Amino acid sequence: MHPATFLRVLGPEPWSVAYVQPSRRPADGRYGDNPFRLGKHYQFQVILKPSPLEVQDMYLDSLRALGLDLTKHDIRFEEDNWESPTLGAWGVGWQVLLDGMEITQFTYFQQAGGIDLAPISAEITYGIERLTMFLGGKNSIFDIEWGGGAGYGPVRKQEEFESSRYSFEVADVAMHWGLFEMYEKEARRCLDEDLVLPAYEWTLKCSHAFNILDARGAVSVTERVGVIKRVRDLALRCARLYSAARRKLNFPLMSEDARREYLERSAQAENPVP
Amino acid sequence: MSQEYFFEMLTEEIPARMLRSRLQLLEQALRAFYEQHVGTPSRAETIEVDATSRRIYFVIRDLPQTQHERTEEVKGPPRRIAYDSEGRPTPALLGFLKKNGLSAKDLPESSDEYIRVTRIMAGARTADVLGPAVTAIIQAMRWPKVMRWGAGAHAFIRPVHSIISIFDRRVIPLELFGASAGNTTAGHRTFSKGKVSVDSLDDYLEKMEKAHVVVGADERVRIMRERCVSLAAQLRGLPAEDEAIWEQWRYLTEFPGVIRAEFNPDFLSLPDEVLITVMRVHQKQLPIYVNGKLSSSFLAVVDQVSDSEGNAAGGNAFVTNARFADARFFYQTDRKRSLEDRVKDLSHLQFQEKLGSYLQKTARIGALSAGILAAARIGNPEDMERAARLCKSDLGTEMVKEFTDLQGIVGGIYSREEGLPESVWMAIYDHYLPVNLDDGLPRNVLGAILSVADRMDTLTGFFALGMKPSGSKDPFGLRRAAQGIVQILFNRAGWTLNLGIDRLIESAVAVYRSSRLSVVVPESRWKELPAELTEFIGERVRTLLESGIHQFAYDEISAAMEPGWQASLADLVDRTASVRAVRNEPQFLSLLDSARRIANITAGQPDLSIDKGAFEHPTEKRLNELMDVVEEQIGEMIEQKKYPDALRSFAALAEELERFFVDVMVMVDDERVKKNRIALLQRVGRAVFRIADVTKIVVNRSEYKAG
Repeated sequence: MHPATFLRVLGPEPWSVAYVQPSRRPADGRYGDNPFRLGKHYQFQVILKPSPLEVQDMYLDSLRALGLDLTKHDIRFEEDNWESPTLGAWGVGWQVLLDGMEITQFTYFQQAGGIDLAPISAEITYGIERLTMFLGGKNSIFDIEWGGGAGYGPVRKQEEFESSRYSFEVADVAMHWGLFEMYEKEARRCLDEDLVLPAYEWTLKCSHAFNILDARGAVSVTERVGVIKRVRDLALRCARLYSAARRKLNFPLMSEDARREYLERSAQAENPVP
Repeated sequence: MSQEYFFEMLTEEIPARMLRSRLQLLEQALRAFYEQHVGTPSRAETIEVDATSRRIYFVIRDLPQTQHERTEEVKGPPRRIAYDSEGRPTPALLGFLKKNGLSAKDLPESSDEYIRVTRIMAGARTADVLGPAVTAIIQAMRWPKVMRWGAGAHAFIRPVHSIISIFDRRVIPLELFGASAGNTTAGHRTFSKGKVSVDSLDDYLEKMEKAHVVVGADERVRIMRERCVSLAAQLRGLPAEDEAIWEQWRYLTEFPGVIRAEFNPDFLSLPDEVLITVMRVHQKQLPIYVNGKLSSSFLAVVDQVSDSEGNAAGGNAFVTNARFADARFFYQTDRKRSLEDRVKDLSHLQFQEKLGSYLQKTARIGALSAGILAAARIGNPEDMERAARLCKSDLGTEMVKEFTDLQGIVGGIYSREEGLPESVWMAIYDHYLPVNLDDGLPRNVLGAILSVADRMDTLTGFFALGMKPSGSKDPFGLRRAAQGIVQILFNRAGWTLNLGIDRLIESAVAVYRSSRLSVVVPESRWKELPAELTEFIGERVRTLLESGIHQFAYDEISAAMEPGWQASLADLVDRTASVRAVRNEPQFLSLLDSARRIANITAGQPDLSIDKGAFEHPTEKRLNELMDVVEEQIGEMIEQKKYPDALRSFAALAEELERFFVDVMVMVDDERVKKNRIALLQRVGRAVFRIADVTKIVVNRSEYKAG
C-alpha cells in the first residue's frame, strides 16, 4: 500500500489524491494464460479525506466521464469489505460491479496501522485493465490497447509469464527469507531513528518478500501467522510514529482554524473538564 | 381521526444478507412502541416495514392525534414517617401531596407500607412523542458491523443521506446520524434525477414508482421470480431452487431485473457442484436446469430497467467464463494426484497449534470413527477406515483453496471419480454436514459417523486446552459442532446412530490420551473433561429440543432430562414426547400430585429396600402388592417405548396412593416402619421417575377440567 494512502489517511489532516499505481500480487499470476487474471495490474487510486457525502455520485460521474452510458449498463455496489492483516488496516465498502464484472473496490477506511481513523477516507481503486477491457469491448486483458497502437499483450505478456514462473517455481526461498530478515531489521533501525517514511519503505519490501514466499508455497500455516505479525508490528509502529511526527510538525496540511479547533477538541478529550 | 406516520431513511447500499433480520427487529420495536402508546394493533397493516438495497422505510397507521390519558401510580414516603404519633400528616407527606397537586383527603384508604397515589396524566400529542421515539428506535438497531464516514462522528451500517419523517402530512423533526428529517428523498441512482418530495406514504409509493424504485421487497421478488420462470421456460427449463439466493436478491436492487446469459458449454464437463458453487456463491447467479440437468444458461439479477443491448448478459457471461477457466485449471491440476497420495501432505497443514496437523487429526478421526462404528454396531469397518483416512485429503487441493465452501464435497467428487465405493465417497462428501439447523444430514450412516467423529475430536481437543466458548464468543464454532453431533444422534430418517453421549465422550477422550500431542495436558484436566463436555452438549440438546421440529417446552425437556439422557438421545426424545402427550390429559394432575408427594417425602433419603415384615397397615400392604403388578406392566411398556401409556398407568395409581396418604402416616417414630414406608414410596416413585421427573412440569390448574 502506497505511503500516499497508508500514511496520509492517518490523523486529522485533509488529503485528496489520485494516482496510478502498479499492484503486484504474485499469487494471482497465471503465466499470462488467464484472460482475466494478472500477477501485476495497474490501478487508479483515489483517496478523498474526509469522505464527501456525495462520493458515490462523484464516482458514478467519473464513469460517465469515461464514456459509459449508465442507463445502458447494470451498475451495482455489492458488499465487499477490505482487510489487510499485514498492515493492521481494514475498511467497509463494496466491489462495484459493472454488468456483473468487478471494476472498482470502494472502501471507507476505518483503521490503518491499528489506529482508528477520524476523519474517514474514501478509497476508490479503479481496475484500469478491467475498465479498459470494458470500454474497448475486449474479451481478454491481453487484447486491450496499451496506447500509441501498442497492445497490452505485446507490452506485458512476457513479464506475466516470467513473473509467474519466478514466483511459483524459481524464486530462491532461502534468499527471500534472508531478505525478509534484512528488510525487517533495517525498518526497525529506521523506526528507532524516527525515520518513518524510510521505515515504511522497508516494511513494504518485507511485505513483498513475504508475498513471493507465499506464492512459492514456502510459508507453512504455522509460520504464516507469525510472519504476518512481524510485518504488522512494523506497520503499526510506522503508523504511530507518523501520527506523532505530524503532530510535532503541527499538522502542516491543516488550515489555521481547523488546526486550532482540532487541538482544542483533542485537549478536551484528553483532560475532560470535570 | 387516526393518521399515519411515514419514515424513510436513504443510505448507501446496505449488505443484502443483513436486511431481513434487521427489519424484523425494527418491526418488533415499532410494535412495542405502538402497544405502549396506543394499544394492540387492530390489523396486520398497522405497522409495515420494508427496504430496498439503499433505503429502509416504515409506516405506522391508526395513530391518534393525541395519546390516551394514562394513569400513573406515584410512590410517596413510607407511611410510618407520613403521619405523626397523633395521626396528623407530617411535612414529609404534605410536601409529597403538594408536589402532586393533592390534599390529604384525596388519599385512598390503605395499609400499604408506603403512601401511594394515582395520577391521571394527560395524553401527549402524538406528534411530540414520535420524534424522540423513532430516533431512539433507529439508534437502537444493531448491525453485525457498523462503519464511520466523513468526519467520523456517526456510526451506522452505511452513511445516511436523507430522512423523511412525516405525520399527518407534516414533517416531524428529528436527527439521525447527521441527517435532519425533511420530506425529500431520491429515486433510482441511474434512472432518476434530483430530489423527490413527498407528503404521505401513498404519495411516496406513487412517486417512487415513477422514479424507478420498487420499494416493496415482496413485489421485487414477485417480479424477479416471474421473469426467471419465463426466461427459463424459453429454453424449456426451470430455474434452480435456491432460497439462499432469493434472500440475497430480495434486497440487492431498487429496480429489479433478471437477465439470462450463457457460459461456454465446454465447462459442463466440470463437476456440477463446482459450477453451481461458482455461480451461486461467487456470482450470486441462479443456474437453469433443462430436463433435470444443469444447462449452460443461468440467470443473474440486474438493477436496471432493461438490458436491451445485452451488455449485462455479455458481462455476466464473460465473468462466469473467466471463473470457470480458473476452476478448470484447478480441477485439472488436482486430478493429477490421487487423494490417497495427498494424505501425507496433511502433515504440513496445521489443524491447531497444540493439537497438531490435519494428518494427526485424521488419525484420531479414524480411531474414533472405528470406535463409534463398533459401539453402534452399524456399517462396514473397512469402508469406514478408508473414508476416515481420505476425508481431509482435499484440504490441499487447489479447488478447496479457491472455493473453501466445497471442502468435503471436492473430496467426495474426486473419490467418486477415482472409483471408490458409494458408501465411501458419499461419507467424505457429506461429512461437514450439518452446518446449520435447517441443513440436511449426511446421506449415509458412515457420513454421519465421520461427521460426529470429526466434530467430537474438535470439541474434545479445544476443551482439553481450555479453549471453550464464552458468552457470544465462539471463534472455533464449537457450539455449532456440538449441535451437529446432537442433530445427527436425533435422526431417525434413513439411518439411526444408536450411540450414547457418555460413550462418545469416553471414546474421544481415550483417543486423545493415546495420541501424541505437542502439549502436555495434565491428568486432572482429562478427568474434568467428560463432565464439561457433557454439560456443553447437554445445553445443545436442550436448545435443539426446544427448537426446530420438536418445539418441546422447557419444563418438558427438564423433566425428561432429569433421569439421565447421556445413554440415548433417541430415548430422550421419546420420553420428552411422552410428557408432552400426557401433560394436558385430565389425569395428569393426579399423576403430578402423587409424584410431588412422593418426591417431597423421599427427598434426601438414601435408597432403601422393602422389608415385607414391617408392613403394619392393610393399605400399605395392598399398595405394595399392587406395585408388583404395576411395575411389571410399566416395565413392559417402557421396554416397548410406550412411555405415554406408562405414565398413564402410573396416574391410575393416584386413588390408591391417596388412600395410602390418608390411612398411613409415613414419618412415624418406629424407624423400621418409617424406613419401610419410605422404601415403598421410593418403589412407587421409581416407576415414573425413570421416564421423567414430572414434578418439574409447571401447570395451570384452572385449565384442567375435572377428570
